[in-house]
Amino acid sequence: MSGLPFIRPLPSLLRVLILATLSVGVSLYSVEHPNLRQLGLNAAEPLLWLNGQLRDAWQVCSQYLQTQTTLRRENAALRQRLQVLEMENLALPVLRTENQQLLALLDSFPTAPGRVAVAQIEAQNLRSGSQQITINLGAAEGVYVGQPALAPGGVIGQVVTVSRNNARISLLSDLSSAIPAKPLGGNYPCLVEGRGDLHSLSVPFQPHATPLVPGTELVTSGLGGRFPPGLPLGVVKSVEHASNGPFARVLVRPSANLAALNTILLLWPQTRNASHS
Amino acid sequence: MKAGALVFGFILAFLAESLPLGPLYAQLHPDFIALFILYWALSSSQPLSYFVIWLIGLAQDLIFGRVPGSDAIALVLMLALLYAWMARVRRLPPWEQLFFIFFLLLAQSLISWLWQAWAGPIVWHNALLLGAALGAALWPLFTYALDRLQYHWPQRKG
Repeated sequence: MSGLPFIRPLPSLLRVLILATLSVGVSLYSVEHPNLRQLGLNAAEPLLWLNGQLRDAWQVCSQYLQTQTTLRRENAALRQRLQVLEMENLALPVLRTENQQLLALLDSFPTAPGRVAVAQIEAQNLRSGSQQITINLGAAEGVYVGQPALAPGGVIGQVVTVSRNNARISLLSDLSSAIPAKPLGGNYPCLVEGRGDLHSLSVPFQPHATPLVPGTELVTSGLGGRFPPGLPLGVVKSVEHASNGPFARVLVRPSANLAALNTILLLWPQTRNASHS
Repeated sequence: MKAGALVFGFILAFLAESLPLGPLYAQLHPDFIALFILYWALSSSQPLSYFVIWLIGLAQDLIFGRVPGSDAIALVLMLALLYAWMARVRRLPPWEQLFFIFFLLLAQSLISWLWQAWAGPIVWHNALLLGAALGAALWPLFTYALDRLQYHWPQRKG
């Protein structure tokens, strides 16, 4: 650009070296000061707003551009799904009453799932193990760091950065993600970690005699208090035993389809006392 | 390059970089900001300031939640490589320039990847290679679109 000043008082190599040193400094500073990332999210707000407008426009356009055949097929599938759900729905009041009676007998009231809010994805960063999405809810709506995020199927991750109107969610598949888990109906504690792959998570440090087998459903254990217990995390898809390795390699398929996220549910877990009141 | 077209181009590049169009797009799309900087450098009569490019990279890191400094230094090194071979590249036929664009984009994504690997856990992904290849393949279309944008952008009066 001809208008900008291009001052070159130092040799190129020296300038590159100075900027490399600056980059090291910024990287190290960001480790100690996570609010630098919050600053970035605040700066990105106009861009995220524009992204949201483009996404909405794209959705409207794609609705208009669908063919009659596609719409008919979709309508038929939805009607079929509605019938199945209506049948399942018939049994719910009975099950709810029965559950309440059983819990009353055990003197343990269920912890209600808490308040939820629906959010839309504004931006995504799914490269090189850092698997994060940005949503259109932020501190103004009460979103906080560490908040559980869900999607149809189960847990998808947790909030890691919050600005006034946006929040960044680290997905389960993010390499820095780890959530305390247990098998559904069991008490065997384990961790579910991300491995940079949207379709596969891992359970580290499992002995060869692990009780986890393909098909075992894993849910949040509630340890640490960040995630309420019992939320679906994934299903064990393979357990490999390497002859020379000290641990078994356990891979898990996430319950929620992380590769097709559209609507995100943010959860405000309710405490036991709050649910009583 | 006209200042208005430059700002508009950068806004479009940042938008294209973060559009939530699913995992396939997120993993395979070329680095539009790097592509735009290459276009800017090649179409400008004067060399660009490394510091300005470093600031753009830092903004990219902060906005997209990457390790601060990783894209900043990757863009600066990409530009340094471009300037080192600039005279030779300008004499190459267009299809041979594509290989050079591919090489620069790949170098930029590899440097950014290595920087993030230094800062924390990371995995290799073939999308790094494919993104650079796609960027090079889109280069003629990209330059054509930006040439048209520059041509039609209104001149500043006075």
